[in-house]
Amino acid sequence: MPVAQRPRMTAAPSEQEDMPRRRLLSWFTSVGLFGSAVLSAFSNFVFIKPRATYGQPARFAIGKPEEFPPGTRISLDARRVCIVREGGKMAAISTTCTHLGCIVGVSDTGFACPCHGSRFDQDGNITGGPAPKPLPWYKVSLKPNGDLEVDKGVEVMPGTYYNV
Amino acid sequence: MSQATKEAGLWTAVKELPGNFWSSIFRNPLPSSDLERASTSFTNFFLHIHPVKVHRNTLRPIYTLGLGLISFFLFLILMVTGILLMFYYVPSTTQAYDRMLDLRGSVAFGTFLRNMHRWSAHGMVAVVFLHMCRVFLTGAYKKPREFNWVLGVGLLLVTLFLSFTGYLLPWDQLAFWAITVGTSIAGYAPLVGQQIKFLLLGDATVGQEALLRFYVLHVAVLPATLMLLIGVHFWRIRKDGGLSRPEEPANLAVRVTAVPVEKAVEEKKRTYGLVGFVRGPFTKIGNIPDNSVYSWPNLLMAELFVFVLTVAAILTLSLLFHAPLEEPVNVMHPPNPAKAPWYFLGLQEMVSYSAFWGGIGIPTVFVLLLLLAPYLDRNPRGVGRWFARERLLANTIFITLVVVKVIFIVIGAFFRGPNWSFVSPW
Repeated sequence: MPVAQRPRMTAAPSEQEDMPRRRLLSWFTSVGLFGSAVLSAFSNFVFIKPRATYGQPARFAIGKPEEFPPGTRISLDARRVCIVREGGKMAAISTTCTHLGCIVGVSDTGFACPCHGSRFDQDGNITGGPAPKPLPWYKVSLKPNGDLEVDKGVEVMPGTYYNV
Repeated sequence: MSQATKEAGLWTAVKELPGNFWSSIFRNPLPSSDLERASTSFTNFFLHIHPVKVHRNTLRPIYTLGLGLISFFLFLILMVTGILLMFYYVPSTTQAYDRMLDLRGSVAFGTFLRNMHRWSAHGMVAVVFLHMCRVFLTGAYKKPREFNWVLGVGLLLVTLFLSFTGYLLPWDQLAFWAITVGTSIAGYAPLVGQQIKFLLLGDATVGQEALLRFYVLHVAVLPATLMLLIGVHFWRIRKDGGLSRPEEPANLAVRVTAVPVEKAVEEKKRTYGLVGFVRGPFTKIGNIPDNSVYSWPNLLMAELFVFVLTVAAILTLSLLFHAPLEEPVNVMHPPNPAKAPWYFLGLQEMVSYSAFWGGIGIPTVFVLLLLLAPYLDRNPRGVGRWFARERLLANTIFITLVVVKVIFIVIGAFFRGPNWSFVSPW
């Protein structure tokens, strides 16, 4: 009995000294474990966020200016832009509805979305429906080889034309 | 002589083999006494999810309508048919649609399995929703069952998301445009919306990456989540004291005392003293009228009945109606009008007024209200009865919200034509 008690007697004072250290250690451990769990959960999101995508390129050639005679309004559905030519001025207007991403159809009065009924005028300004923003215009330029190029990565002010 | 006994031993062993094999699997004979009925419930792996005894109220069909069970059985059907369909499906934009046609044309029972999967999925969304209505209208989400209600709301959301991800897989026109619209709605969420959309699609638009992602979510991530949630949901039913029921008259209130097993058995000659260790209002030790019956066979027969009914309903539906399959995806021509599945039509109708409020704002408030319902409504009365007078306010609010939701769905389904303009269905 006394033999068993002796170590406890000697341990008692140091036990008190140890308490803050133990608490600190257990605090560090919990923060470390919990932190690692949060970090590894977050790393899943990093993992599933692709660094490269295989979809359509933002910049693409659409052909020579002569292929679009004045007065043209052609919707390139695969590219999701509408090529407009008025006289010598050219522009590319997005045909992706700003509401929920359906393709808007080109009509005489402008654009109409089949999904939720948004309507736009010929310049892409909203004339009705739930769309929150007008259709964006993209930069049009001439490549050295004479092809027109549309860059969907660069939006320009509506009404900004490229003079051919 | 020793040789003779050995031979006899072997012969006896062979003779008794079937019996011994059987009893090594099933430790209990078919029960003929209460002790055996109790032990059947807790010595069988598949049965021990049940309590040994259940309250009579739990077995009243008119109280639960069996909706929770039906949801679970539909999920089982979905798992079986889903895994079978996986044998033939390829999550590739060039192959998915052809595989759908193959299911129709060159796979035995292919159409039938796809029908079963589709109708069970629709059924599960509907029944899970009805189950939630049942739980609300009987006040079953109140203390101590608040957290199980929260889990239930989680199960509803996972069910909807499962259905949504499955919607894309056939890669037909309906699928493509519904997912284009659905993921665009996610894009309207403040701050993280565009990030979520990009993570979901793995690209700027719906394409191969999106198809693969939705496939993995649909066949692995979400079913695993659902199974985990179902497990906890079921476990909590027992730990929260079984299904909700009307309060026992006050003078018969059960006193909960932990009684040592030996003492319980000795004093009352009860064979289920073990339940004395489980907290909750179902300890049956003391002089109170016993309103419970043995799970075997009462609960089991009820479950079997619901199961057979569910399977029969799905089989009938699958024989009579084919799961729709539209033209293959044409990314250049959205169908007009492009409609989401029926349970998202209310959402789509709201989205046609405002994408943010209809698609994010109001649904978020709605889900938050659902999640917080048991913590906002602390009135302890009116539990265990349909449309209790004491719960008039809560029930009225809930029914109003449900009716509004249904009206929006009906408008979206029947009153919307090309360009989402208002049309009359007549």
